[in-house]
Amino acid sequence: MLWIAIRMLTGDAQKFYGLLFGIGFSTLLITQQLTIFVNLVERGASGVYNAPEAEIWVMDPVSRTTEVNYAMPATALDKVRSVPGVEWAVPHLRAQASVRTKDGDLEGVAVIGVDDATLIGMPARMKEGEKSVLFAPDSVVIDDTGTTRFFPAGVSPIGERLELNDQRAVIMGVADAIPSFTSTVVLYTRYSNALNFVPGTRNRLTFVLAGVQDGVSPAEVAARIERETGLKAQIRENFARSGIDFIIENTGIPTNFGITVVLGFVVGVAIVGLTFSLFIRDNIKQFGALKAIGVTNGKIMGMVGAQAGLVGLIGYALGVIGTVVFIQVFSANPFFKGFYIPWQIPLVSLVAVIVILAITGLIAIRSVLKTEPAAVFR
Amino acid sequence: MALLPEGGFRSLSVSRQVLPVVAAIGVLVAAYLILTNQPDRTISDPAEMPAHADGALADGPRVAGAGVVEPSSELVSIGTSLGGLVADVRVRPGDYVTKGQPLFTVDDRALRARLEETGAAIAQARAAIAEAASAAETAGRQLELYRQVEDAAAVSRAEVIRAEGEAQAARSRLNSARAQLQAAQAAAGSARTDLERLTVRAPIAGEILAVHVRPGEFVQAGAQQGGNSAPYIEMGQTRPLHVRVDIDENEAVRLDLGKPAIVSPRGAADQKVTASFVRAEPLVVPKRSLTNSASERVDVRVLQVIYELPPADGRFRVGQQVDAFMPARAKAAK
Amino acid sequence: MTEQPEQPARSGNPAAAIRARGVTRDFPAGQSTIRVLHGIDTDIRSGEMTYVVGESGSGKTTLISIMCGILWPTDGEVEVFGTDIYRLSDTELVNFRLNNIGFIFQQYNLIPSIDAAANAAVPLIAQGMAVGAAREKAKVLLDKLNIGDQADKLPKQLSGGQQQRVAIARALVHEPRLVVCDEPTAALDARSGRRVMDLLREVAVAPDRACIIVTHDNRIFDLADRILVLEDGRITHDGTEMPQEG
Repeated sequence: MLWIAIRMLTGDAQKFYGLLFGIGFSTLLITQQLTIFVNLVERGASGVYNAPEAEIWVMDPVSRTTEVNYAMPATALDKVRSVPGVEWAVPHLRAQASVRTKDGDLEGVAVIGVDDATLIGMPARMKEGEKSVLFAPDSVVIDDTGTTRFFPAGVSPIGERLELNDQRAVIMGVADAIPSFTSTVVLYTRYSNALNFVPGTRNRLTFVLAGVQDGVSPAEVAARIERETGLKAQIRENFARSGIDFIIENTGIPTNFGITVVLGFVVGVAIVGLTFSLFIRDNIKQFGALKAIGVTNGKIMGMVGAQAGLVGLIGYALGVIGTVVFIQVFSANPFFKGFYIPWQIPLVSLVAVIVILAITGLIAIRSVLKTEPAAVFR
Repeated sequence: MALLPEGGFRSLSVSRQVLPVVAAIGVLVAAYLILTNQPDRTISDPAEMPAHADGALADGPRVAGAGVVEPSSELVSIGTSLGGLVADVRVRPGDYVTKGQPLFTVDDRALRARLEETGAAIAQARAAIAEAASAAETAGRQLELYRQVEDAAAVSRAEVIRAEGEAQAARSRLNSARAQLQAAQAAAGSARTDLERLTVRAPIAGEILAVHVRPGEFVQAGAQQGGNSAPYIEMGQTRPLHVRVDIDENEAVRLDLGKPAIVSPRGAADQKVTASFVRAEPLVVPKRSLTNSASERVDVRVLQVIYELPPADGRFRVGQQVDAFMPARAKAAK
Repeated sequence: MTEQPEQPARSGNPAAAIRARGVTRDFPAGQSTIRVLHGIDTDIRSGEMTYVVGESGSGKTTLISIMCGILWPTDGEVEVFGTDIYRLSDTELVNFRLNNIGFIFQQYNLIPSIDAAANAAVPLIAQGMAVGAAREKAKVLLDKLNIGDQADKLPKQLSGGQQQRVAIARALVHEPRLVVCDEPTAALDARSGRRVMDLLREVAVAPDRACIIVTHDNRIFDLADRILVLEDGRITHDGTEMPQEG
């Protein structure tokens, strides 16, 4: 019977492709919008992910995210180092500064001061140059987003000079970093250099990055740090989460994308529901005949289920492929840099497709189930 | 499927066979792309290990601090007691000097001239003494001669008084000349002392750490402190070296004084040495930031604890920053 | 798809395919109800072509629906080949129909997107036979109905007569013991109608098979083995020919 069901479905090309379009469009809309949403809010955690060594971030109790921070006295580093379970701890400075480019333009940049000796706090990979270029005096490493903001395409930023707080800074490398939410240009430099690049305030140490000894859980050590130093310590996942939550709480992004996703869902329900109902209505006599001949309601539901399943599979596939192609095509664009499709999202849209088909299928099948087989004689 | 109802001679149905297969392959490819493009969020180990405690301190209670290497004598800034042009510098940075060894000399020509002057004055005084002595002798003999004359008429009373006066004057001149000699000798002594002071000598045995003076430069006494000029010579006892560790006052109470510390130089966390306790400074001082300008305002006070570094073939140098880990007193959690 | 075992004819008279007793049917009409059938008592015998004849609204469609198990009677009982079909569960009744009854609908109700052979094979496929085997079996029947060469065509590519033959093939392919045929000649001219009825007689009538034709086409009454005339829900005539005054 499923053989017949599939042929009934594909025999009506117009409705079949209409259904595919409906499901595919919904899947594309839901998957793609959720992907952009997740990637966009995850930009709030880019600062955390750009420092891959840090298992624990220690900060002033009022600091909230990598960008919303309040500096601590320099001895905070030693306090953290004193806590048992802390394998290592290094200073980390994040501050805003104004930079004067060669053309004389003033641009706001984020200056990130990484540990002088070990350069812990740098992104994992470099696009150009080595991390060790930071050991040179006055050297900074710019992130790749900043390169596109400061320099025309094709111009290598290596060796370019910037003026930071009346100090000379020379770009010696380009880091392969995840852009921040605001796509601010980021300059990495050594902690001691950063102190000079950033206008002086009393306390400068914004974060202490810490590693954890083997055999101790980061959460436990973070709790210990909080207890013994009075500072705030968050493990990497939680601090990333804080950054994401900050974006979610302080921007309209969730609402916007939420609306689009709901629209995608509603459009899917509408298109698929209408088309499916029309399809079933067109075939209601055939279904009635089948019922009279001796096909149980269960098998009729199986047939409609198979039709929904085929439409769902192909439509879903088209939508997911569309999203993957979209992300791949735009991955070169700085706005989409580092965008990925979290594996959960296709599952979410799969569930949405199943729900759409379940709703519309049930609505459509009701008329079939209610059809009296006796109707075929009238 | 030769039985396709659409009849035709197509061997494949787009909607029933091509599409589902394409869809299935597409979903698999998409799943592969999605799963392989998941971002790398793993925690990576530091390429280079920062300063960290190990051994017993790794697990036990500990206090961390940043410190600076200094000579065990602390840093001695050598000045000069007399101003003048530098004539000769006898040491170079890195020289190990004994106590009293000349470090540099200041131009002594003026003093030597004064010494010659005083020599002349001494000779002059000596001549004056000789002259006064001979005059006194002449006057004395003449007076004696007059005294021996019985005949009062032969020598007038006035003659006698004149002779007595001359003898008296000659004795006074002699005394005066002797006093002049003493004065000239004293002046010569003074000049010799000053000459000695023009050679600046090491106050202690130790290593010359910095020389900021060169022949021909002008040095002057006293004024160097407080200005931005460096001391002429810096030296200190570097056998052994000490390390002065700043410990946050909040942490200081936990410190187990008297126990050795683990010290590693900045940037070479793996080269750890054990440093023995020397003393804790009785005065808690404002934290001096080691990385920033001197004008930084601070609200953190630190206890400074001195540890003695073992001999370590140039791994530690005076003024170098170090990371130190020290045992803390075992205690219940705060 | 569970194969329903063939119901053995338990009736004393093996020729009595359907035994209807006191079959009454009411339809709701606003506040009141309209009684369409008034206690029909009749037997349909195997090996005969039985006509059910009546004016529009006489209740013949209702009667035939109840007799083949697709409409519940308000009262009375129906035994088909010895099975009291309205005592069966819904599923059992559906499977009973599938295994024992063949339908020829007035509008054929062929599935437009599958070819003639597949349409004819639908009951076999519904019984669980593999599509290929079912089609082969249906093709044999289509050959017998002289449209074997049209087996691979879609219904819309066939003429009305060819479609009807496919519908007939569908009613017979699973060798049912009861064939129900609704107005087979309504859309046809006299000659074609006759040919269809000849065909039906040739392929549908068998000693162990009952065949009910619902019609009001008086041109074919002479082909009946037995004619039941229904008027206002009652059987007013039961004989081998139409009453002369009709």
